[in-house]
Amino acid sequence: MFTIRLISFINRSFFKTAYTVPRIFLLPLIFIVLTLCSTNGYGQMVKDGEDESRLYAQTKQINQFFRRFNGEEDEKGERYYPNNKQYRNVKLRKKYLSILFDENNGGISKDLQVQFAKDVLEKNLFLNFHGGNWFAEVHTIFTMNGKDQPVTLFMELEKHHQGTRWIISKVYADMFEPYFKRDTTKIGQFLHPLSHELAFMNLRKAFNNPDSANHYINKRFRPDHSTLFLYEVKRGNLRFKTVEDMKFHFFQAAGWYFELSLFNRPGYNTGWLISNLVKINTDKDKEILRKHLYYEK
Amino acid sequence: MLNSKFLYTVIASLFITSAVFAQSGADISPKRKQAIDSLALEKVRDLSKYISIIGDKRTPFSEATRVMDRAEELFAPDSEMGVSSINKKEVSYYKVRKYFERLMALNYDRVSIEWYNIFYISDLERQPDGRYVGVVTIYQRFEGTSDDGLKYKDTTKKDITIYVERKKTQIAGRTVEFWDVLLGDIKVTETSA
Repeated sequence: MFTIRLISFINRSFFKTAYTVPRIFLLPLIFIVLTLCSTNGYGQMVKDGEDESRLYAQTKQINQFFRRFNGEEDEKGERYYPNNKQYRNVKLRKKYLSILFDENNGGISKDLQVQFAKDVLEKNLFLNFHGGNWFAEVHTIFTMNGKDQPVTLFMELEKHHQGTRWIISKVYADMFEPYFKRDTTKIGQFLHPLSHELAFMNLRKAFNNPDSANHYINKRFRPDHSTLFLYEVKRGNLRFKTVEDMKFHFFQAAGWYFELSLFNRPGYNTGWLISNLVKINTDKDKEILRKHLYYEK
Repeated sequence: MLNSKFLYTVIASLFITSAVFAQSGADISPKRKQAIDSLALEKVRDLSKYISIIGDKRTPFSEATRVMDRAEELFAPDSEMGVSSINKKEVSYYKVRKYFERLMALNYDRVSIEWYNIFYISDLERQPDGRYVGVVTIYQRFEGTSDDGLKYKDTTKKDITIYVERKKTQIAGRTVEFWDVLLGDIKVTETSA
């Protein structure tokens, strides 16, 4: 007997159904399979059902995460359009939502996952590619004077002319940080309040020591790494080397924040998955979280 | 006679293609999207076939060079391959031609390149210049064996950029619009899935 295995990945448990084919049909079946393989134009095909089902299960693109979250495609990745009965079907969404979490992450409790899915379905929360309130955090390596330096780029989609583009909205680099450190609890260096009467002649002394230059900047000053980054790139001092890693932050589902990371590992729970989930109760919570993500103090 | 028949077929197919595709409006209808997906997949399959031929140790050098030329024609100018592995997150960047040349020069006595019958096609998004862009994901299994028995195996995910553009051509004095697909940058990731 010849056995064909149909493997479906939905429902977490990945059920497998075995069908048996009598030997009499074996030759015609082999002929059909061979014909299909020879006409697909790919060249030699991998015939490994187990591997294949894992790859189907994988959330292969961010685009697929959006579609699965919204219930806009079938289990093989074929898109559903609004005129299709299954489009955004609640049962389908419920199944997809259960496989979109990193199962190895003990930080996201089962209760929280259930609460999130319930909220998403009851409040009809959908993700919209052009809806804003989501951004990428891209970990890159640049070289500065021949030395590798990590630079984090925060990126957003922006409308531009006939379409959209990704733009750098913020930059963070450890290498810039020491230049802005200052201790405001100490009196430190200062320009006395009557300096103006002397045409600020004491500025000469103030800038004698470059290390204390930031003592003379106002307390509310917030350093902007993007400006320094652009300046160094334009000067030719900072050169791009590679992208090391990236993740995405979503504030689109009202009352929730989640992080999306790529999991490249064996098994079925792979690809782009939710790696962090936080319930947001107030706008203040949201603001604190945003500042934390952007490395703002 | 044969030539005129061939020309007629080409003209007819182009006209039919344009009749399906050429519509006004910026948005791409589901029907048109499906037609574009088929065209994109055809190009991706051509690329897969070419990669298998280039990587095959039995392919003569002259034939491999000819196939590399054909493969390059599938791509938009300046396209690159970005390659990363499980152990090395850092992405190495190669021009498409260089990538093919490296594949041809791999130091194995036997090479087997197979493709999974899985693909994923993203939605199409419009970029600032009016062209549409999408990503097709496919998976490749590679096996290289040396005569001394050393074996290297990997499965790689290939995320392939596709550029979709509406073009115009003149056929028998009539302007006909059609949609053209070109491949762009490809991210190659070694996968442990």
